[in-house]
Amino acid sequence: METAKIGAGKHLTQVITKAYMDLHERAANGAFVVWIAINVPAEIFLGFENVVYGVPESHAAMNAAKGVGVTQCAKAEQLGYSMDLCSYARIDIGCVSDHGKDSPSFGLPKPDLIVSNNNNCSLLTKWFDVHHRQMGVPHFLIDVPFCYQPQKEKDREYIVRQFRDLIRVIEQMSGQKFNMDRFCQAVDHSIQGVAHWKKFLEFADRKPSGITAFDSFVHMAPFLIQRGVPAFEEHYRLLVEETEQRVANCVFPVPEEKYRLFWDNIAPWHQLRKMSSRLADLNANIVGATYTSCIGTKEGSFDLYPFDNTDPMHFLARTQNSYICPHGLELRKQAMAGVIRKLKIDGIIFASNRSCKPYSITQMDQQQYFFNQEGIPTVMIEVDHADARKYSEENSFLRIEALLEAIDAKRAA
Amino acid sequence: MDSIKANLLKLRETRKKILGCLPLYPPMEIFHAMDLIPVTLWGLRDMIRTLDESDRHIQNYSCSVARRAAEFILSESGMMLDGIFAYNACDTLRNLPEILSNGLQDAGRPLPMFQIHVPMVPSGQTDAKDYLCNEILSLIRLLEKTFHIPFSSDRFQDSVEKYNEVRNLYRRMEKQVASGKMTFQDFMIAFHSSGFLPVEDQIRFLSGELDRCCNKESKPGNHPIMISGILPPPLPVIQAIEKAGLRIVCNDIASLGRYYGYSPGLNASVEQYFVDFYENHIPCPTLLYSADNRMEYMISVLQKTSAEGVIFVGEKFCEYEYFEFPYLEKRLKDKGVPSVLIEIAVDDEDNIASLKNRIDAFAEVIGQHEGRP
Repeated sequence: METAKIGAGKHLTQVITKAYMDLHERAANGAFVVWIAINVPAEIFLGFENVVYGVPESHAAMNAAKGVGVTQCAKAEQLGYSMDLCSYARIDIGCVSDHGKDSPSFGLPKPDLIVSNNNNCSLLTKWFDVHHRQMGVPHFLIDVPFCYQPQKEKDREYIVRQFRDLIRVIEQMSGQKFNMDRFCQAVDHSIQGVAHWKKFLEFADRKPSGITAFDSFVHMAPFLIQRGVPAFEEHYRLLVEETEQRVANCVFPVPEEKYRLFWDNIAPWHQLRKMSSRLADLNANIVGATYTSCIGTKEGSFDLYPFDNTDPMHFLARTQNSYICPHGLELRKQAMAGVIRKLKIDGIIFASNRSCKPYSITQMDQQQYFFNQEGIPTVMIEVDHADARKYSEENSFLRIEALLEAIDAKRAA
Repeated sequence: MDSIKANLLKLRETRKKILGCLPLYPPMEIFHAMDLIPVTLWGLRDMIRTLDESDRHIQNYSCSVARRAAEFILSESGMMLDGIFAYNACDTLRNLPEILSNGLQDAGRPLPMFQIHVPMVPSGQTDAKDYLCNEILSLIRLLEKTFHIPFSSDRFQDSVEKYNEVRNLYRRMEKQVASGKMTFQDFMIAFHSSGFLPVEDQIRFLSGELDRCCNKESKPGNHPIMISGILPPPLPVIQAIEKAGLRIVCNDIASLGRYYGYSPGLNASVEQYFVDFYENHIPCPTLLYSADNRMEYMISVLQKTSAEGVIFVGEKFCEYEYFEFPYLEKRLKDKGVPSVLIEIAVDDEDNIASLKNRIDAFAEVIGQHEGRP
């Protein structure tokens, strides 16, 4: 397997490092700091001249990927937070309690405002409430109705009203004026960047795949913390160009690709390298994932949802249910079935994730559906996205190897 | 508990449509006003002893409330239901309607599902009253269409009065517990026995229970405490608490005090009634906008009842509660109120020795605490 860091990988490191350094520097110089949930529209903050945002979930994922997830979790557990709570939350609460110690980015600068939402999970609101009470910082909650069917107009209007109220709150608290042109420009950068992202994912269409889901996990970081800026657009443009070149040069992550797999759930951040290497040794490639395919879409489909150049606020509201957790079983199945056919998937790995119940709770029914109705071999493994103590590599690979055998058996039949 | 089964059979005999409501705070009065019998599917611990059907659909790291409700609906017991209602009470429960639909479809007995979104924005942020009103009115239209029963404001007022009466009776019963005329254990037996009864029968039953205990002598003494959590602990744990010399005089339990603690005003339109119902509800971590008021509420109840400590009854895997416990414990400690957390999982009723030890230790702390200056 190709392991050398490619140009886009180096660029990613630069982008992320600069993003965290800028965040700390601007905060130190008086910028208004907001902590947000990953799918709060970051473009809104870029509509202000001197508002910066940090993303605790992404910061927690980075801690886990850099191997300090368990250290940070343990700090929260010492404060009385149960091991059953989401490991992102435990990492973040632990990290804040220790003033950023052990964090690769020295934590996040103290916020002036916390903005959560309940579309991915309401627990994020509970988690942010911990900071709100501990730090005495106001907490703005964006209430996003859950979708059993495609998002309704009344819900979209309700979300837009809340975006406008959020802008008013920031104007009042920061003393800054929201600038619609800046906001529109930020939306444009995001839209262009996401379009490149979707092109990048399309390299999984071919066989052998030009990418692995692990590449997409790693490269989603700018989507989480750098939306709306030129560097975001630039990074994904570079990533597409480079992947295109590698494919043209017949450089593939799993050259002898025999099994094309699909991943359902958040990335196992503490296992990226180990898992991808071990799978590659088995000539297996996880070529796609619900977690990364849902970016830039709307609920029920993993196709790019294009901006119609009308109202960017409505556009952002329309995509609030696109992530997996804010919509229900039928829409999840619908989107997943489409991409599985498109990518010619041989088998699905459902990663049952104790730290993310909203993502995992529909998986048993999804698994039955894809096995019984679509005839695709599937397996369920136990993971935790950021707490390595709750993952057993051997148990997981025992099951994954059984999945590969089931794929072989199906082919032989 | 046999009483639940017996009550369910009685419900069936009424030949009215029965609507199974997923917890926590469904708009019961609407369903009752439309001649349906709503039952909130919690407090099923004693009836649901195995989780075979639920385990085919939901991971075992979901809370017992969701697993037991799913088991009830997907197993034979669910055959007495004519529909399911759910709102966005929590991340697990909002996903349950489709999972249940799937399971019921496979079993060849699909049921109509009714859902609303209860806005979770804090007051003073975005005005969500219109949104909730619209949800309530849409629900009524859908119920009318499904069951061919017209909604009537007069009947709704009648339902409101009845449900408020039930809440009032529970509050009175809680006072009897506080005064020592009734043990918390007896209160819980009455509570469970009245569950799954039509509201009219609930009123009769609870009134009878109250009359009976009014004639009893007060047996105060022991150390008054509060319990807090989603569900009351199992009866053996309540017995252990009372045996340890503690007396539960008040509660911050979702299925108890948080449910019956507040009665909205009469004579409002149906949609305004539920704006009041949700907005002024007793604070609950699942009603996201209310969570900041929970500590203040608990302190006021502790002061009113002179409770000396709090036992938090942790519903295993209920993250809503678990995110708040460290904060609540710390705030209580700052105020000199001892507290302890006991965790109840699905099968803990059969395995309470370690819980007993914690309760005994807590009772000792409370005893020592009393002597402090």
